[in-house]
Amino acid sequence: MGIKVQNLVKRFGDRTIIDHVSFEIAHGELVSLLGPSGCGKTTTLRCIAGLETPEEGRIEIDDEIVFDSTRGIMVEPYHRTIGMVFQSYAIWPHLSVFQNVAFPLQVRHRPRAEVESRVMHALEMVGLASFRDRSSQQLSGGQQQRVAVARAIVHSPAALLFDEPLSNLDAKLRDRTRAEIRRLQRELHVATVYVTHDQGEALSLSDRILVMGEGRIHQAGTPQQIYGDPQDAFVADVVGAANFFDVEIQQAQPNDFRCVAPDGTLIHAVGRVAVLGPGRVMVRPDRLVIEQDGGDDSGPNRLHGTVVQRLFLGGHFEYAVAVGPTLLRVFSAVPIEEAARVVISFAPQDGIVLGAEPLSVAEESEAWA
Amino acid sequence: MASDHTLNLAGSTLAPQARMVPHRSSDAFISAIFVATFAVTAFLIVTPLASLLYGSFRTGGPGTNAAYTLKNWQDLGSAGIINTLITTCVISILTSVFSSVCGGAMAWLTYRTDFRYKKLLVAAIGLSFFFPGFILAMAWVILGSPGGIFNYILSDMLGIDSVQFDIYSATGIVWIQVLHITPFAFFTVRGPLSSMDSSLEEAAYASGANPWQVALRVTLPLMLFPVLSSLLLCFVLSIEQFAIPALVGIPGHVNTLATELYLLTSFSPPNTGLAATVGLAMSAVTGLSIFAQRRVVHRRNAPTVSGRGYRLRPLNLGRWRAPATVLCLLYALLSFIIPSVALVYTSVIKYFVANPFEAAYTWRNYQQIWDSPGTVRAFWNTLIVAGGGAVFGLILGTLIAYSTHRLKRRGYRGLDMLASLPFGIPGIVIGLGFLWSYVYLPIYGTLWVLVFCYVARFLPYATETIGAQVVQIDRVLEEAAWTSGANRVASFGRVMLPLLRPALQSGYFLLFIAYFREIAAAALIYTSSTQVLSISIWAFFENANWGVASALSIVTSVITVALMAAVMRAPLRL
Repeated sequence: MGIKVQNLVKRFGDRTIIDHVSFEIAHGELVSLLGPSGCGKTTTLRCIAGLETPEEGRIEIDDEIVFDSTRGIMVEPYHRTIGMVFQSYAIWPHLSVFQNVAFPLQVRHRPRAEVESRVMHALEMVGLASFRDRSSQQLSGGQQQRVAVARAIVHSPAALLFDEPLSNLDAKLRDRTRAEIRRLQRELHVATVYVTHDQGEALSLSDRILVMGEGRIHQAGTPQQIYGDPQDAFVADVVGAANFFDVEIQQAQPNDFRCVAPDGTLIHAVGRVAVLGPGRVMVRPDRLVIEQDGGDDSGPNRLHGTVVQRLFLGGHFEYAVAVGPTLLRVFSAVPIEEAARVVISFAPQDGIVLGAEPLSVAEESEAWA
Repeated sequence: MASDHTLNLAGSTLAPQARMVPHRSSDAFISAIFVATFAVTAFLIVTPLASLLYGSFRTGGPGTNAAYTLKNWQDLGSAGIINTLITTCVISILTSVFSSVCGGAMAWLTYRTDFRYKKLLVAAIGLSFFFPGFILAMAWVILGSPGGIFNYILSDMLGIDSVQFDIYSATGIVWIQVLHITPFAFFTVRGPLSSMDSSLEEAAYASGANPWQVALRVTLPLMLFPVLSSLLLCFVLSIEQFAIPALVGIPGHVNTLATELYLLTSFSPPNTGLAATVGLAMSAVTGLSIFAQRRVVHRRNAPTVSGRGYRLRPLNLGRWRAPATVLCLLYALLSFIIPSVALVYTSVIKYFVANPFEAAYTWRNYQQIWDSPGTVRAFWNTLIVAGGGAVFGLILGTLIAYSTHRLKRRGYRGLDMLASLPFGIPGIVIGLGFLWSYVYLPIYGTLWVLVFCYVARFLPYATETIGAQVVQIDRVLEEAAWTSGANRVASFGRVMLPLLRPALQSGYFLLFIAYFREIAAAALIYTSSTQVLSISIWAFFENANWGVASALSIVTSVITVALMAAVMRAPLRL
C-alpha cells in the first residue's frame, strides 16, 4: 500500500479546511487532487508531507503510520520517506544544481560515491546532467522545475508529492513537462499525489482523480469516469467545460430520463437523480451540434437560440448561444454568423441529469448550508 | 531527457530512521532553544530594569547596608530635577526639529529634485553617521570653546571682540547634537520619500499645480507620518545623548537628565538611588516616544505603495540650486570635514595653539598611545568586547529573530516586545541598571559586564537587521529541506544560515561599530581593568590632554573605517 488517508480533518481557527477526507493510493499509482483554490487540496498534501498537523485522522505512508490523532502519533516531515515538488520549486539559491539534488542524500549521510551516482542518475532522468555545476540562480523556470523533481526522486521516496508543479510554467513548457512527469512516475513506480486546479493536467496525467470542494471529496474515479459521468454539478463544472440548463424532471428511470426545458422542449437524457421535479441537465460544449434554424424544426433535444458571440480558436469555433435566459457554449467547426437563429441538439446519452444544487460550491456554500 | 536509462531508482528506498513519536516531541530541541533564548533575553533586559526599580527604593548605593525609602521618588519632583527635565526637553525638542528639517530637506533634495551632488551628499551623510558623537563633541570643543580655534579667528585674526563662540552652553549642545543626529532623520525619511507612489505627484501636476505647490501641498502632507516618525526618533536620540552634553554641558553647568544621572552616580557623595529614579523617569519618556514612533511607522504605509518603475521627473531647483548646494556643503563641512581637520591638527601639535603657524609639531601624541599600558589594555579590551561581544549579540539576535518571525512558539510576542525594549532605554540608564545589579552577580569587575550591557543595549539592532532578512526568505525553502529529510536543526544550518549570511554580515558590522564606540553605557560601569577606548579618549580629553585624545580618536576612526571596508569587501556569495 502506498498512501492511506483516513478521516482527515484539518481546521484553521474555526474554519474547517479538510472535512473527513479518506482515500488510498496504491503503489505506483498517480492520483490527482483536483479542485478550485481553497478547496483543501494543498492542505491535504501538506498534511501527508507532515508540514501541517491535522486535527483528526490517520495517515499511512508505505504501511507506516505517520499520523494518528487517536494514538498521538505525528512523524515530522524529515522522518517521512517522501519527495515533494513545491509550486515555487523551492530551489535553494545558495546551492548549485548538484548540491540541491544531493541534499536529501547528504542529510541521510549516504557515502560520497552513492551520492554522486544517484544524483547523476536523477539529473539524467530529468535531462539536466550537463547542468550539474550550474548555480541554481542561472536556471530558467523550467530547469528549476526539473531540479525540483530530481531532488524529490533522488532518494527513492515511498511517496511523491506534487503541489501544482506546472502552474508557474508557460503553456508550451507545461504540456511537455506534464508528459515527462507522467513518464518519470511510470518509471519510478511510486505512489504519487498530484495537486492541481487545472483539469486538463488532472485528466491527462492521472490514474485516478479526486475532485475536491469545500474540504471534502465530491467524486473519485478514473479521468474517463469523472469527465463522462460526473456525480454532481460541482464535479461537472470543475472537470471539463460544461453547459447547464434548468429542467423539470418528469420521468426518472435508469438511463432514460424525460425532462422539459423552460421553453417546452422535451429532453431525453441519462442520469442518476431519482427525484422528480426541478433539476438540471449538463451537456459538454463539444457534444452539442449547432445548425442554422430551418423553421419548423422542433423535436426532443432540439433547443432554439441565437448566436451572440463567435470566437475562432483555430481548430474550431466557440459559440455563445442564447437559449432563453441561458447562455450555452458550443464547440463546432461549422461556420455560422453572429446573430443567426440556430438549433442546438444533442444525443440523449450526452445529456446528464443532475440535481438542482448550486454550481459553484465555493461561492454559494453558505446559502446552501 | 535520457529515457533509455534502466537503472532502477525505486529499487532501494532510503528510509530515514523513521520512528513513531508522540505529538511534537521530536522538536523538543527547538523548544528548548526557544526557552533558552527567552531566558537569556529576559535576563539581559529584565535584570537592569528590575535592579533600577529596586535601587529607586533604596537609601544607599548598590551593595551597601541600606533601607527602603520613598525619598528618591519624592526627590524626582525637586526643583533641581524638574529644571534639568525642562532643559533636557527644550534641548531635545530643538534638536529634533532642526535635525528633522535638515535631514528631511537633504532627503528631499536627493530624491525629489535635480540637485547635482546627490552622491556626494549621501556619502557625506554616511560619513557623519559613522562619526562617533563624543569625538564630534571633542572636535567642537577644540573649535568652539572660549580658547578655541573659531574665537582665535574672530578676535585675533579679524579683530572682532563683540561676538564670541561659547560651545559650553545649551546652544552648543543643540548645535553638536543637530550635526550628529541629522543623518538619522535623513535615513528615516529617505525610504518613504524614495518609494512614494509618484503618480500622486503626477496627478497634482496634471491638475495644474506648479512644482513648488506640488512639493508643499502634496509631497509634504504625504510625508507627514515619516516626518513625525523622524521627529520622535530624533527626540529620543537627543534625550539619550550622553557624551555630547557631558563634554560641553558639564563645563558650562548645563545639565541634561543623562549627565545629571552621571553626576549623581560618579561624584561624591553618590546618590545612586536618585540616579536610578531619574533613569526610570528618562526611560518612561523615551519608551513612550519610541512606542509612539512605532505606531506612526505602522500607519505610514498607506501612500507609499508603489513598485512601478516610473521615475518622476525631478523638480527643477532653478535659482535655488546655489542655496541648496551651500546648505549641503555647509553640513558636510561642519559635521565631518572641519572637525576631522581640527582633530588631526590637534593630534600633531605639542601644546594646543589655535594658530597653526605658531604651533610646535610632533608625533609624541601618537607615541604616547603605545607607551601607555592603560591605553594598550583599553585597546585589547575594546577589541574583545566589540569583536567577541558582537558574536554573542548576533547569535542572540538571530535566535530571537528566527523565533519571532518563523517559529512563533507560544510566547513569541512577549519575546519580541522584550527584545525591542532597549530601543526605549537610554544607554546610560542601562549602564546604571547593570551597575545596580552586577555587584550581586559573579561578573563583577570583568569584561562580561560590558558585554552583557552592550548586548542588551543594542539587541534591537541585531533583531531588526536579521528579522528583515528572515521574512524575506521564503518559508518553502525550509519546508523543502524538511521534506528532503533534514531535521529542523540541520535545515536551519544548511538552508537558513547561508541565506541569512548577508544580514549576519551587516548585523555583525553594525554591532561591532556600536560596541566599539559606545561610551554612555560604559561610563558608569568600567573599572581600571575593564577600560575601553572610548573611555580612554574621554579621560585624556577631560585631563586636558587634547593631543593624545585626538590622536587616539584618529587611530580609532582609522581602525573602524578599515574594518568597515574589510567587512564590506568580504565576498557576499548567495
